[in-house]
Amino acid sequence: MQQFVAQTLNGLTLAGIIFLVSSGFTLVFGVMRVTNLSHGAVYLLGGYIGYSVITATHNFFYGLVAGALAMGVFGLLLERTLITWLGGREMSELLATLGLIYVIDDISLAIWGGSPLTINLPGLLGRSTTLPISGIVYPNDRIFILGVSVVIAVGLYYLLRRTRVGAIVRAGVDDREMVSALGINVRLVFTLVFTLGALLAGFAGVLGGTVLGVYTGGDGDILLFALAVVIIGGLGSFEGAIVGSLIIGLIQNYGTAYFPAVAYSILFIPVIVILLVKPEGLLGKVTR
Amino acid sequence: MTADEKAGAVAVSPPGPGLPAGRGARLALTALRGSRRFTAPVAAVAVGVVLVLLLQGNGFTSTLVVDMLVYAIAAMSLDFLGGYAGLISLGQAGFLGVGAYGVAIAEVHFFSPWAAVGIGLGAVLALGLALGIVAVRTKGVSFVIITLAIGQVLWGLAFQWVGLSEGDNGIPLTILPALGPFDLNDPLTLRMTVLVVFAVVALLLVTFVHSPFGLSLRGVRSNETRLAALGYRTGLHRYLAWVIAVFFAGVAGVLYIFVNQLISPAAMAFSQDGLLVIMVVLGGLGSIWGPALGAVVIVLFQQELSIYLSRWQTLMGLTMIAVVLFSPGGLWGLVRAAGRRRDALIARLEAGQARRGAS
Repeated sequence: MQQFVAQTLNGLTLAGIIFLVSSGFTLVFGVMRVTNLSHGAVYLLGGYIGYSVITATHNFFYGLVAGALAMGVFGLLLERTLITWLGGREMSELLATLGLIYVIDDISLAIWGGSPLTINLPGLLGRSTTLPISGIVYPNDRIFILGVSVVIAVGLYYLLRRTRVGAIVRAGVDDREMVSALGINVRLVFTLVFTLGALLAGFAGVLGGTVLGVYTGGDGDILLFALAVVIIGGLGSFEGAIVGSLIIGLIQNYGTAYFPAVAYSILFIPVIVILLVKPEGLLGKVTR
Repeated sequence: MTADEKAGAVAVSPPGPGLPAGRGARLALTALRGSRRFTAPVAAVAVGVVLVLLLQGNGFTSTLVVDMLVYAIAAMSLDFLGGYAGLISLGQAGFLGVGAYGVAIAEVHFFSPWAAVGIGLGAVLALGLALGIVAVRTKGVSFVIITLAIGQVLWGLAFQWVGLSEGDNGIPLTILPALGPFDLNDPLTLRMTVLVVFAVVALLLVTFVHSPFGLSLRGVRSNETRLAALGYRTGLHRYLAWVIAVFFAGVAGVLYIFVNQLISPAAMAFSQDGLLVIMVVLGGLGSIWGPALGAVVIVLFQQELSIYLSRWQTLMGLTMIAVVLFSPGGLWGLVRAAGRRRDALIARLEAGQARRGAS
């Protein structure tokens, strides 16, 4: 029982990290119809930059901010150059960002090498707490990650549901042409959403580097989690990203704990089921 | 607009003003007409001869060429699906793996080498038939994502299901099929067999592409609603294209394990799926021969260029981006453009001749 509770908490932690990555991915797709396959590589690069800044400054929070901001700037530049040049051709965007994965990964390998790196949390966050009732000793860093993810999810929800910018973004998901026709600068909204998505991915890279590590190939793993999430939750749906992240995070953790031989593969069972039963995803609106 | 449609558009546009006629012009016209008629067969024969010669040796070159041919088969199969049915798959390396693992696992369980080949191809065909039901429900970006997911499930099984697949270590294959004097354990026989299979697969795919099935497949890609309205079973077209592509990826997988005598999850990793797509796009989506050329270039990058340039993957990624941005027809697009320029020149010369004959 104790183990099950611990596994559930682990699953929720993973879900938090996956959510930070997939929410950006799904919003970018929803608003811009851009499938950014390099989103996972952005996550990993954020983790690497965070690691270097933490090593230099001995302050985790500087690293977290640096990783997020650096990737935000990277996203801004990427949207203003490559994505703009491709002019909305969906398949070209997908293929170009596929090429970009090899560039980012290769440069990361040149700078940070091939051995896995781990980011350690400072002070109290690096220790463990005995949880009430169950008496489980649980690491604080995971509780911290879970808490931060929830805070950001609530913040994003507020941004999307209660602010003017959020209303424009949601309208963009539903009907981009209409938003444009109403005189709203859609270009600016695109840049904003893309930058925010990359910023969240970089943030998640540093945060995830604590429990998952920063390693070559980590980008592919997180990208696949994010893709599974958006299929389950629905491409373009923010709430879908929350639900999908919970499903994928928990299945991945239970799978690894109880069915290690097929842990990775059973992750995709809900994906296949959703595609057969409800191809637009649980909460998806985008018709495909 | 695809390379094909562009080619059609240029062919019907006026070829420009007629050129003056004269002795030189007549000679040039004869030469150009000869080039139009003989370039393709001469090039085919020349490439065939060069390949046969390169495959004779036992050194590095023949190994390199065999690798290129195996990947070319996989890339062409992917192009058939991506270029003609409009379904770009990011899981094709997974099916290459299924073909290879099928053979290896069957031999581990004491099946004869020929039976193992049958099991490998049977497994990939069965899997293609089953997964196609899910996969071809989607199109475009969604299809890319679902095939990526399928490819990763297959990779995950190979990596984690140690009891079946030996995990990360992979499974070695020691005995290859033999039939009398035809013995694949002999390296030269094996290399020639790979060449023959490559040629057969290429010709089969080209035949499919030019068949009524291939034409209606392109119709489904360009305007599915119209084809459906005309009574075509568009879903069935996509399904068949998928099964054909998956099966030939499996064929490439069987050859892969014959050549490498080992299959491990690394051959099915996401980066390999991406590499196959890069081969296809770099070579030219929708041209069959282009992706074979793309496979040659990428394998050269991987095995030759990497010796001199440690950052070859960066170069490859940038090349991919540049091709998508500036030359969507890929390398084969350049070949086609040269052919179109020649045809335009012929048309202008003919116009000049006709004017002179009339006056």
